[in-house]
Amino acid sequence: MNILLACASGMSTGLVVKKMQEAAKEKGIDCKIWAVSQDVVEEEMKNADVLLIGPQMRFLKSKLESKANELGIKIDVIKPMDYGRCDGRAILNMALEMINN
Amino acid sequence: MDKIMNFLDKHLMPIADKLNNNKYLTALREGFMLTLPLIIFGSIFVVISNLPYLDRILGENGLNQFKNLLGAASSSTLSIMTLFVVFGIGYSLCKYYKVEPIYGSAVSVAAFIILTPTFLQYGKTAKEVVDGVIPLDRLGAKGMFVGIITAFIASEIYRKVIQKNWTIKMPAGVPDAVSRSFSSLIPAFITLSVFLLVRIIFIFTPWGNIHDFIYKMIQAPLMSLGSSLGATLVAIFFTQLFWFFGLHGQIIINSVMDPIWRALSLENFQAYQAGAKHLPHIVNKQFIDTFTVGMGGTGMTLAVLIGIIIFARSKQLREISKVATPPGIFNVNEPVTFGLPIVLNPMVLIPWILAPMVVTAFTYFVMSIGLVPAPVGVDVPWTVPIFFSGILATNSIAGGILQLVNLLIVLVIWTPFIIMLDRKYSSAEKGAIGNKANNSLSK
Repeated sequence: MNILLACASGMSTGLVVKKMQEAAKEKGIDCKIWAVSQDVVEEEMKNADVLLIGPQMRFLKSKLESKANELGIKIDVIKPMDYGRCDGRAILNMALEMINN
Repeated sequence: MDKIMNFLDKHLMPIADKLNNNKYLTALREGFMLTLPLIIFGSIFVVISNLPYLDRILGENGLNQFKNLLGAASSSTLSIMTLFVVFGIGYSLCKYYKVEPIYGSAVSVAAFIILTPTFLQYGKTAKEVVDGVIPLDRLGAKGMFVGIITAFIASEIYRKVIQKNWTIKMPAGVPDAVSRSFSSLIPAFITLSVFLLVRIIFIFTPWGNIHDFIYKMIQAPLMSLGSSLGATLVAIFFTQLFWFFGLHGQIIINSVMDPIWRALSLENFQAYQAGAKHLPHIVNKQFIDTFTVGMGGTGMTLAVLIGIIIFARSKQLREISKVATPPGIFNVNEPVTFGLPIVLNPMVLIPWILAPMVVTAFTYFVMSIGLVPAPVGVDVPWTVPIFFSGILATNSIAGGILQLVNLLIVLVIWTPFIIMLDRKYSSAEKGAIGNKANNSLSK
């Protein structure tokens, strides 16, 4: 399972990635989670099953949606409150639900 | 209130979408991004060769020699930044159009050089002329706008010719590298001919070349507008307003303002290198990033976190300060903006908008009376913690102290609002515990 996060420079999503990795370890889920900046996200999408966008960059969604459909990957914006609290568990659950649906 | 919020959110989103996703502005952003490692390299050596007390250690001659030795670090990066911006824009745009980006870059750079005068005037009346040189400043601040416009137009012509299929096709079996250079032959030829024609036409105008024309007619007026306090306050107001709606304000505003702010930085840098006592521009890229809206994270939230640590008792605020302070020290602050939350929280709208604007006016004032030097134009990576970033940006300890004073100003403006928020959260938390207790009793 490959979970990609993206924001302006991959910094604040990078914080979230760490928390998500911890949450995945707790749950015993084997997955790759990583964060990138918006200029390379289209390249990185090829290696992902799901793309989560930082809420401050939510205007990226409209631009990336067609690419996501083409690749058959799920795409959504992270909930602001989960993002602010760096709630790795909630955001991981969101990604898992998106993949399973 | 809800109506106003919904109205603004509905209208700000499309603006954000257009500005961030516009292909030219994206190319511009990526062009500047390409220059970043080079500029930081150059900046570090400028800082090293201007360390305080070096003249006492090395003596005047020794210092000059030392500066000469390190000079190439900045003259091959910072001083000719426009060249790399042109290269990056050409690359990014051609990548967007899915035509060989590396050729697009090369053609853009060639087009830019075609337009550049190859002589230098010097002497007191600028009557002496050296031929057969490219003046460095044409590849730096002075050529910034010509470079940007040239890269846009050159890439557009180049990709259009390719997409019209006016290319030479080599038979199968010819090595790929050979056939690729042949297929870009006609597009490159047509593109560069257009720019050659432009160069020739401008020789017959009063300006003599397009560099001086664009500088006088477009760049200089935009730069003098962009360096004014009024325009800066407007830019900062909108950065904060976008963030209030949870949209990345800098990405949106900077995509328009960066060419101006960066050119202002470069002009300061050139003046600084030349040994000027007073730098020409107070407002520039570092003024914005290290002293005002970007100091301690967007909206200067490091000060807010300090306020929370001092004044707040509620669990929610304490929890936020724990999560958000470590990244906040490095100017990453999404945990505060979304966690406090500041986004869409009418209770903090006033300090959120007001504090950076007051700090901007204050910093501008302090720098204009000369109490703190203006930023010298070296690039400070945005993750450098405050105090250090201020010293690096101005090459003076006064810059670091100014940041601490700015932090204090933000703290003072925010304090009543932090206390208000804290009371609200505290009473909600007590209420929640009370309810739980009641519930368990009733069971």
